[in-house]
Amino acid sequence: MQNITIYIDDKKLEVESGKTILEVCRNNNIEILTMCHLEGVLDVGACRLCLVEIEGVNKLLSACTTKVAANMVIRTSTERIKRYQRITTELLFAERNHMCSVCVANGKCELQNLGYKVEMDSIRYPRLFPQCEVDTSHSWYVLDHNRCIMCTRCVRVCSEVEGAFNWSVKNRGYQVRIISDFNTPWGESTTCTSCGKCLHACPTGALWPKAIVQGQLDKKPEIIEELMAKRKMGL
Amino acid sequence: MDSSNKKTIYISPVTRIEGHAKISIQLDENGEVYDALFHVNEFRGFEKFCQDRMYTEMPTITPRICGICPTSHSLASVKACEMIQGIQPTYTANLLRRLMHISQNLSSHALSFFHLSSPDFLLGYDSDPAKRNILGIAQEFPDIALRGIRLRKFGQEISERITGKKIHIMGIVPGGMAFPLTEENRKYLLEYIPEAIATVQLGINMIKSFHEKNKEMVESFATSPTLYLGTVGPDGGHELYDGKLRFINEEGIILQDQIDPSRYLEFIAERSVSWSYLKYPYYKPYGFEKGVYRVGPLARLNVATRMKTPLAQKEFEEFKKIGGGKPVHGTFYYHYTRLIEALGDVEIAEQILNDSEVTSSHIQHHGRWNYAEGIGSSEAPRGTLFHHYKTDETGKLVNVNLLIATGQNNPSMNRSVLEVAKQYVKGSNIEEGMLNRVESTIRCYDPCLSCSTHAIGNMPMEIEIFDSKGKTVKRVVRN
Repeated sequence: MQNITIYIDDKKLEVESGKTILEVCRNNNIEILTMCHLEGVLDVGACRLCLVEIEGVNKLLSACTTKVAANMVIRTSTERIKRYQRITTELLFAERNHMCSVCVANGKCELQNLGYKVEMDSIRYPRLFPQCEVDTSHSWYVLDHNRCIMCTRCVRVCSEVEGAFNWSVKNRGYQVRIISDFNTPWGESTTCTSCGKCLHACPTGALWPKAIVQGQLDKKPEIIEELMAKRKMGL
Repeated sequence: MDSSNKKTIYISPVTRIEGHAKISIQLDENGEVYDALFHVNEFRGFEKFCQDRMYTEMPTITPRICGICPTSHSLASVKACEMIQGIQPTYTANLLRRLMHISQNLSSHALSFFHLSSPDFLLGYDSDPAKRNILGIAQEFPDIALRGIRLRKFGQEISERITGKKIHIMGIVPGGMAFPLTEENRKYLLEYIPEAIATVQLGINMIKSFHEKNKEMVESFATSPTLYLGTVGPDGGHELYDGKLRFINEEGIILQDQIDPSRYLEFIAERSVSWSYLKYPYYKPYGFEKGVYRVGPLARLNVATRMKTPLAQKEFEEFKKIGGGKPVHGTFYYHYTRLIEALGDVEIAEQILNDSEVTSSHIQHHGRWNYAEGIGSSEAPRGTLFHHYKTDETGKLVNVNLLIATGQNNPSMNRSVLEVAKQYVKGSNIEEGMLNRVESTIRCYDPCLSCSTHAIGNMPMEIEIFDSKGKTVKRVVRN
């Protein structure tokens, strides 16, 4: 792959072309906030947290889906970006019913950590408080739509890694929901293999095993990347 | 009587209790107390919004009901979950749970006695209300204030050393505990024991001395007889964590004994009233009017045959002498019984911390949904607490019933307020000390109305006197 020169936060870098801005930043220890990105599966640019400024481009672009180009001048931590990150985080919290104190993922939640990261001390937007279903029909696992942020990591893991294609998405806008099979209870799914990869991929307490309570959740999203790496090696 | 001649005095908010409440006192045409009502003006809705959630989430959600007694809620909740799963906790988990429960009971009783109630005993009911609080005690009796605060700290320290959190604990899970106790923390907690015993004994001496100096008031202070409910061990011994229910009547005769808490609905019924969000529970066989019963430290000691530890047993015997073989009905004795319990708590904590199994790592049994219904109970600092869950076949909650200790004391609190109001409130000329006595009746029960705490006790009190048409005839504001 051809090497090109780019500039990130006034730092000159020689990088391989074809990489995304996010990959380059992570390789060079430049922090980019993400929520829908998961190592091992394809990026979709859903969460809009990894937005960066690129000189000559008016709008902000998502670092996970934008590839580097020669002489690109990128900024990752301007006041404008920080403002947008804070807004995005607040909107994620305002959209569904995120009650950290009683959540099974309390203390081990990527969304909660994001809130701390962007110093979210309040939510300036009216909460929607939607009536969300809790799907307990699966023998071992629970899907709680109250805590889902629609990152679709579960959808991608299920299709790209497990190949089961159990998870999908229905509706649009604030009515968007994760569905199992053709919108049937998870427990009645004919495609779910009960492998549990979606639980590890989920960044919040939306997917969790019935057998545990707060303080016992142990999600390992890194196993998805390890699995894909082994697959590429033919293991 | 013609209702147009009645006047109503409102005392709102009631200071130095946990939560928000209002007392209204209705006067007749001669300025005599005609009726008194204890209102609870907040609505929480836990029973409703917990529906449709997994039953295993309840031990996490329900401790949020209360910042003072989260462990009791968590324990009642895990017991209900264990009934659903059909499993029992491990031996070590039981030890740790007892320790956690003691931790909460101690910090709650220390808060109730030293922070909230001791200003009345040490500074006097008629002293300046601006100073009649823990800060006033810190100024006048700094040693007592400090020791009270450290006793509460000890209670909370136990919780933190086991679960990492002082309030709204986590880690009490169906089948046991999520976290073990380390050897280092065990030793640390043991070092606290002698000081804790000395502080509780200091409190006991304080309350006894107050009893002696104010014998007439203590013996006439809201002494209306009621039934009592408490948890006891197999031999009738005092029990907080795990036991069977015992009801006694006004004479001390055992009405029901060794009742499994899962049968609570056979003996307790509830009724809503229009003027309060707190329901009115009663002893079912006696009906709404006659079935008023009390729970909490006074009730637990009234129903118990003995305490489990020597120092507490000694005080218990002295307490029993007050009633002369019958239950002690004086509401003021709640304070004394609270301290006797605290003494027993510290002694049991020492026994548990010296148990060789307390630091074992065998802390959880694992189970899954097996039964549709689960009922759990525990003795919260303020009394017997029940959690009752019904689930569908996936474990989703379809019905939740929480019978909270303060709710069970509600009918008798109301009765006590009326009694004290009749004794101390004469006409619409309100003196500060009189109002505080009415309020302190409520404080005897240490009610936890909504779990927001007002430990400092500086809140202003507003009293309004209304005529029967709702017109304000007098308004007094206390800063």
